[in-house]
Amino acid sequence: MKKGQIDFQFFIIVMALLAIGLIMVFSSSSEAARHDFGDAFHFIKKQLLWAVISFIAMMTLSKIDYHKFSKFAFPILVFAGFLLVLVLIIGQELNGGKRWINLGFSTFQPSEVAKIAIIIFFSNSLAKNPKILDKFLTGLMPYLAILGAFAALLMKEPHLSGTVVIVAIGGVILFAAGAKIPHLALLGVPTAAAGALLVMTSEYRMKRVTAFLDPFADKMDGGWQIIQSLYAIGSGSVFGVGLGRSRQKFLYIPEPHNDFIFSILCEELGFVGALIVILLFAALIWRGIRIAMKAPDRFGSLMAVGITTLVAVQVIINIAVVTSSMPVTGMPLPFFSYGGTALFAVMCCMGIMLNISRQSKA
Amino acid sequence: MSVSKMRMQLNRRMYFILGVCVILLFLLILRTGYLQIVSGHELSKQASEQQTRDRIVNSKRGTILDRNGKQLAVSVPVETVTVAPTQINANADKVAIEMVATGLSQILGLEYQFVYDKLTKPQAYEILKRKIEKDEADKVREFIVANKVLGVNLDADTKRVYPYGSLASHVIGFTGLDNQGLEGVESVFDKNLKGSPGRIVSAKTAAGTDMPFKYEKFVDPKDGLNVVLTIDETIQRFVEKHLETALIENKLLNGAACIVLDPKTGEILAMSTKPDYDLNNPFYVESEDIRKQIELLPADQRTAKKEEELRKIWRNKAVVDSYEPGSTFKIFTSAMALEENVVKLNDTFYCGGSVRVANHNIRCWKSGGHGHQNFVEGVQNSCNPVFIEIGSRVGTEKFRGYFEGFGFTQKTGIELPGEAPGIFHNKAVFNEVELATSSFGQSFQITPLQMISAIGAVANDGKLMRPHLVKQLTDVNGNIVTEYGSEFVRQVISKETSETLCSILETVVSEGTGSGAYIKGFRLAGKTGTSEKLPRGNGKYIASFAALAPADDPQVVCLVILDEPSAGLYYGGQIASPVVRSIMDDTLNYLGIEPAYTPEEKATLESAVPNVAGKAVADAKNIIKNSNLKVVVEGGGEKVLSQMPKGGVKVNQQSTITLYTEAKTAPTMTVVPNALQMSVVDASKAVSQANLNVKIIGAGSSPAGGGLVSYKQTPLAGTSVEIGTVVTVEFRRIDAGE
Ligand SMILES: [Zn+2]
Repeated sequence: MKKGQIDFQFFIIVMALLAIGLIMVFSSSSEAARHDFGDAFHFIKKQLLWAVISFIAMMTLSKIDYHKFSKFAFPILVFAGFLLVLVLIIGQELNGGKRWINLGFSTFQPSEVAKIAIIIFFSNSLAKNPKILDKFLTGLMPYLAILGAFAALLMKEPHLSGTVVIVAIGGVILFAAGAKIPHLALLGVPTAAAGALLVMTSEYRMKRVTAFLDPFADKMDGGWQIIQSLYAIGSGSVFGVGLGRSRQKFLYIPEPHNDFIFSILCEELGFVGALIVILLFAALIWRGIRIAMKAPDRFGSLMAVGITTLVAVQVIINIAVVTSSMPVTGMPLPFFSYGGTALFAVMCCMGIMLNISRQSKA
Repeated sequence: MSVSKMRMQLNRRMYFILGVCVILLFLLILRTGYLQIVSGHELSKQASEQQTRDRIVNSKRGTILDRNGKQLAVSVPVETVTVAPTQINANADKVAIEMVATGLSQILGLEYQFVYDKLTKPQAYEILKRKIEKDEADKVREFIVANKVLGVNLDADTKRVYPYGSLASHVIGFTGLDNQGLEGVESVFDKNLKGSPGRIVSAKTAAGTDMPFKYEKFVDPKDGLNVVLTIDETIQRFVEKHLETALIENKLLNGAACIVLDPKTGEILAMSTKPDYDLNNPFYVESEDIRKQIELLPADQRTAKKEEELRKIWRNKAVVDSYEPGSTFKIFTSAMALEENVVKLNDTFYCGGSVRVANHNIRCWKSGGHGHQNFVEGVQNSCNPVFIEIGSRVGTEKFRGYFEGFGFTQKTGIELPGEAPGIFHNKAVFNEVELATSSFGQSFQITPLQMISAIGAVANDGKLMRPHLVKQLTDVNGNIVTEYGSEFVRQVISKETSETLCSILETVVSEGTGSGAYIKGFRLAGKTGTSEKLPRGNGKYIASFAALAPADDPQVVCLVILDEPSAGLYYGGQIASPVVRSIMDDTLNYLGIEPAYTPEEKATLESAVPNVAGKAVADAKNIIKNSNLKVVVEGGGEKVLSQMPKGGVKVNQQSTITLYTEAKTAPTMTVVPNALQMSVVDASKAVSQANLNVKIIGAGSSPAGGGLVSYKQTPLAGTSVEIGTVVTVEFRRIDAGE
């Protein structure tokens, strides 16, 4: 392994996002924590602990040669598949979905493992067989089959946001690896149709769509979260109401430290704060793609693209949801949304990115 | 594809991915900026609407007091149960809400479905039940605490309470659910009474608790002012007692009204309309008949009918209903003629039962006519031709002028809603015939209030004062904020005319048609009135009597109007004058006005029976004889053991006191004889013959007083009583006494 310097700018951006994320978790969760647990620090204490663990994991992974994952690509995929089946059996029921497996000391979502598994397996496999995607049936189809199987299992939970992320990561890696545009187009149409059908056959998902189209029509039901989010964002104006001074976090936005944490950020720090955070994410994506381009080999490049996509898809969908630019999908915001294992997973990915950057070509 | 070519394709596609991401992020920046900067104002306004609770803090409504500080209308604290459905639904599931609905419906005695609907209405604020008393509120509080219910609140509220119930109901009025004045002084002085409510604007979490920030705005409530009336609760009570009796005795089909006024200031001391209503329950129709009538109507007409009936009940006859005054108006025709000097007291007139005016035959109320009489006798007889004559001497123009001068063409401006202005002939059609009928009080309408204020002018040296009900406004601490003094309107007639007229009117009571109002010692002056309601010939009458006392220095004027008597008698001199007498008797005594007896009155004066129990018989006899009383001794003892009537009782002079001197002597009993439907002499004789003492009420100075007949006695005939007991007999005129 070629020992170079990590991409320091990428590292700084990650640390900046992590820091702002932690501050926002504390600021947004304190009232809900006080209301539900009688302790304003209930959530931030856990999140801080996970941040430390995640940081150690990132630094450790930045030192482990990413080529070593090559060997584990297939076992990880199988393990991820196993977990996705397992969660349907022993998963914890929460908010009408079985998405969590309880480990005793913590819970985690198998979808996090599945995302990493897809990234490693697709990157490894496609790097080893660079021309396989020229063919459709024997080339592209097997990958799509794996992706389809994972997506089907995730929809069974149901876990819409996980499904979207997995499909996006897989699709982007396949695209980057040279999948033929006509092939992708051939697939895109049926996928879109299936998606539309999926939405319309479920009253629950349909409600989310109609609520998105006119959140104010049904104030008390599907549109509630969105309206509360818009109230928060709007209240922030240019400079915000001040850190810690959000009013919407006072139980108006349900679980303000989760999916809608960006709304609270907008309210407290204003457009200036929102702009800085979005630009930080943009910079992270830019540095991520740069790392992918400078990666020493195709495996590293595809993995870097996959990881960058993982972050990019979540950021874009999350912000689109909270600004009522698309229907609610329950997408967390990386580095920001409360959740130890999710943070751990993304920080592990950042570790891998740092390692790839360490080995970059001159 | 070569490795380098593949690398180039990879890089191209990565640039594409980066490009897509950057474009999407850029769009999201635009979107966020749009929401924050362009829509920011509107969204934050809506947000703060939802985050803040604007609570109205009711101000305390002022108290209504009588002139002596007695509380006639007070606000007492009660509570109103309100619910915050959004908060309830944010904190509870369906089962919990059903539990709350069940609990509240039981405590508050409401329908379950009604409560459930309120709790689940998509609203921030709903009123569940208004104005509940403390014990009920405590139960709700216990329920809230025991079940940790969020979103059910008890708001401070006030309820109007009228400690005297129906007393002065038409003057005081009442308030609605929002404590707004709806009738009477409550309505006219609503602005002063209610004060201004305060507000508390505070930031609330979605769960309904306070946000930790300083985000509160207080506007202190300003309590309402107290209204001090000119009404005297005691006089009002006298008036209502006697008016109520008259209402029942005369079976008045259209109610009764009475006003008592201080002529020197224009202050109204009492004002009553009967039947009245309970101010604590103003929306209840008391009459069972009317309630049944309403019940029988189709459902859609009931509300309208009930409202109509309530309007009738709330109607203040004394101010709102104009009437044809009839003979009481002759006071003013006399005033004009005397003031214009077109009549002398000893001018003679002749009444042949009717008089011809411009081809119209106008009759006197006494069909046989009054024959020859001077002016004073004409007034005493209330003879129509006399007034037609002096009216024509005054002339149309002057008559109109005085009519306006006495204030009959304008509202008085009393502080009550709905005052009527009265109806009089237009100038163009006010000719000879109209003048003739107007001279004795017919063919136009005025309100009782206009009548009493005009009589006030006659009593007050010719000075018309504006009648008023409100003396002052005071603040919470009792400091006077506004003082409504007496307001002099104009000098209508001279002091001399006023004095002459008062003494003529005194003779109406002492010798004429008003003798039913005679009170010993109080020089009552007055005039009877009887008018047949339009259309004539239906036998519907309004009997009235207007009086002022004492005649030499009037302190009080009083007007009683009895509308549609249906118990037989209907002349003012028969049925209205005794009511005025009772009211004036009580009132003048209450006001501490010293009685001034004429020598004749002194002879018939009552004496208090001295207490002689325990004294030697000879001493007792002397004491009693010195008190102008007669004495009878029962038994042969040396000491008086008991006496009848007891010491302190007031009896007529020369009544007989029985002294018992032997313990064994059982009191001698006797049966009360009938003393009804008799003249004063006959009734007195009947009672005395039964060894009882008589007390005469309502007879004029001459006990033989023409036309007086007893109509009430206590105890009733047939009752067994001890000898010497006082039998009270009341008299009134039954001869047609206009
Ligand atoms: Zn006559």
